[in-house]
Parts: sequence; structure tokens; C-alpha cells
Amino acid sequence: MRDFLKRHQIPLLITLLVLVIALVYSANLRKKTTTTLFERAVLTLTEPLQLGIDRTGTRIKSLWNNYLWLIDTRQQNIATMRVNRDLRARLLGMREVVLENQRLKRLLDFVEADPRKVLPALVVAEDASSWARTIVIDKGLRNGVLEGQPVVVAEGVVGRVIKVATNSSRVLLVTDASSSIAGLVERTRTRGVVRGNGNDLNLEFALRNDLVEEEDLIITSGMGGVFPKGLVVGRVAAVQRNKFGLFQQIKVTPAVDFSRLEEVLVLMDPVE
Amino acid sequence: MRGQIFALLCGLVFMLLQTTIFPRFLPPEMRPNLLLILVIYLGLSESFLRAAFLTLLLGALQDVFCGSTFGLYVAVQLAVFLLIRLVSDRLNLESRRLLLGLITAGTILQTVLIGFLLTTFAEAGPVLWILLPALPLQILSNLLSGWLLLLFLLMLQPLLGTRHGMAGLPYQSKHHGA
Repeated sequence: MRDFLKRHQIPLLITLLVLVIALVYSANLRKKTTTTLFERAVLTLTEPLQLGIDRTGTRIKSLWNNYLWLIDTRQQNIATMRVNRDLRARLLGMREVVLENQRLKRLLDFVEADPRKVLPALVVAEDASSWARTIVIDKGLRNGVLEGQPVVVAEGVVGRVIKVATNSSRVLLVTDASSSIAGLVERTRTRGVVRGNGNDLNLEFALRNDLVEEEDLIITSGMGGVFPKGLVVGRVAAVQRNKFGLFQQIKVTPAVDFSRLEEVLVLMDPVE
Repeated sequence: MRGQIFALLCGLVFMLLQTTIFPRFLPPEMRPNLLLILVIYLGLSESFLRAAFLTLLLGALQDVFCGSTFGLYVAVQLAVFLLIRLVSDRLNLESRRLLLGLITAGTILQTVLIGFLLTTFAEAGPVLWILLPALPLQILSNLLSGWLLLLFLLMLQPLLGTRHGMAGLPYQSKHHGA
């Protein structure tokens, strides 16, 4: 027996390694949103380094943009001043609307639909691969972040937290191929599943008979329990309806520009 | 032991570069996979057990920052390492062109394996439509990075010294010409 083991040491070791790794991978497939001790340790250790590099990069970029690369700044300034003047004029009119809104809300005893606390976070790193779409944010367990919490920006949905370490977390973006969220076409109320495909999104399982058009707004439907209802996901970019089949193919452009993501908001659990 | 720690530190620095610096300048499909280059290099230069151990650790490190399932890159990097190891005995390791050829083969193999594992087990259907169109640019950026790293290694050669089996570097025995 010992001779056999010694003679076939390397092939046996390779077989054992491959088996162990296949088991580790298949076990982890079922618990995507569980952070292992190893992942937590590495994320905790690298967070200060990533934060440091990110801040240095941001400083260098701002130095370049604010003090060195100032071509067209005067023209932009003139245009901005003009827009600013228009907006100020419009704002005066809006104030009256806000006051009226507050008065009406008080009258109706309005209760906020989703009284969630939001936690602002900085994006400190991105996915290291060319195919997956995840980001690392600078808030973690210490700030109350938990796996599964939705992440948004003012423009719309960003993704959901999948791994949490002490001071940092990883967020799976909606554009990732393994991400899917329950969506709704705002105008027609057509339901579907929004799946990522790298840079854009697809609305799958939308019934063919519903007349979805380009530029229609896609929002979260609130099904699935992760995202609250009504968050903007994107706009319909193209619709393809075949002569046969139950569903239509809908391409969606995300509302969020993921290449310029710097700050995000984590939606904490609803206030009890 | 010192060499292993150095390789792990290199892996960590590469990972930080891939997650913080490269995304500022390069689109996803053009970001090189430096850890793959390191695994190929270790597969050619180190002893089997040492290189296998390092490959597992580097794969796990990559899993922390890539995708959503832990274990994917451990499996993929190990497969790439084992195949490199299988053919390395028949190759002239001192040839730099060969090293660049292996980086190309490694990139293709890695893409195929990731695509296979994700579509078969993880139901990430559209991932193939992200991986395949990005493959030519991935090969190009990995080749360029491999070539730059090799140049860097050549610059460091007088400091590091040479030993038998350092891929891409010409080895001259102490007894050469004696």
C-alpha cells in the first residue's frame, strides 16, 4: 500500500486537490452571499491599502482636473452661469410647490412608504476580472452593512451587497451576468426579470403581447424582497418581438453610469 | 520560504493594481490578469509542491476580488498550473517568446474554463457573451503586461541573481566555460 502511494504520489495528490477544490466551489455556489473567514480576513487587510490608493488617485486626478487641465473652463463657466440663472428662477416657483406638498401631506397623514436609513459609502475598488461586475465600498459590518442589502445612487439601482468584512463590503452590480432583479415597465406595468450582461441589461420574461416601447422606464417591482418597489433601473433601448413565442426581447440601458461610480448609498433594513 | 512570501506579496500588489489602478484608466476587457501571468511563471520556475501551494493561495486571493463565488479561480488557476506543468518538461524555458506563447494559451484556457464552469454550474448564461468578445483584448493586454514584467525581471536580474529554471531568463552556470 505504502509503495503504491509512493509510486503514484503526484497523480494522487492532483486528484485529491481537484476533488477538494470542486467540492469547495460547489459548496460555495449555494451560498453566494456568505462571506468566508478567508474572504473576510483578506478584505479587512486590503481595505486600508485600497482606500489609500483610491484617495491618492483621486487627489492626483483632482489636482490635474482643477489646476492643470483647464481648457474650455471659461466657456463652461459662462454656460454654467446661464443655466444657474435659469434654475434659480425655476426654484422660486418650486418653493411654492414644496410648501403646498408639505401641507397636503400633513392633511393626508402621509407615512413614508419605505422608511429605510441610508448609509453613504465610497467606492474604493472594482472587480479584478474582465467579466464580473462588482465594486468594493468602504463600509462594512462595523457600520451595520449586511449581505443582501440594496445599494443605490440618485439615478437608480446600483446592486446588492454580497460579501461583508469589518470595514468594507463587496457589491454585485446589476450589470453582472449573475445578477437578476424583479423589474416592471412603468408605463405598461409589464413584469419581468432584469438580468445583467456586462455593460447593459436585458428584461427577460416580458410577455410579447404587452406593447413595450423604446425609452420606457424600467423600475423595480418590489418582488423578491431585496429592492424596494419603484427604484429606477434603466430605460428600454431596443425591443424585439418575434412572430412566435411567449416573450419579447428587451434591451435596457442602465440609469446609472457605472464607469463613474464614486459614492453610493446602502439601503439599511427598514426602521422598526 | 522567502521566495514564497515574495510571490504572495507580488500577488497582493498585482491584486491591488487590478482593483484600484487599472479600473481608473482601462475598460474591463482591457485590464490584464497579472495573477494568471504569475501562476504561469511559478508553474515554470518553482518546484511542483511549492508552485501548487502558491497557485491555490493566489487563486483564493483572486476569488476574494473577482465574481461572486469563492472557489472559481482556485479551480481555474489550478487547472492552468497543472496543464503548464504537464508540458513544461518539453519546453525550452529560457525562451521569452515561449513564455509569451504560454501566456496566450493560458488566457484562452482560463476564459474557456471560466465560461464552462459558470454556464454549467452557476447558470450565469450571458457570461459567455462577455468573455468571448473580450478575449482578443485580454490576450493583447496580458501579452503586453507579461512582456513588461519580463523586462522588469531582466532589469532586476543582477540583483536577484539567476538559478536554474527561471523562465524567460538565460541561465549561466557557475562552471560555464570551465
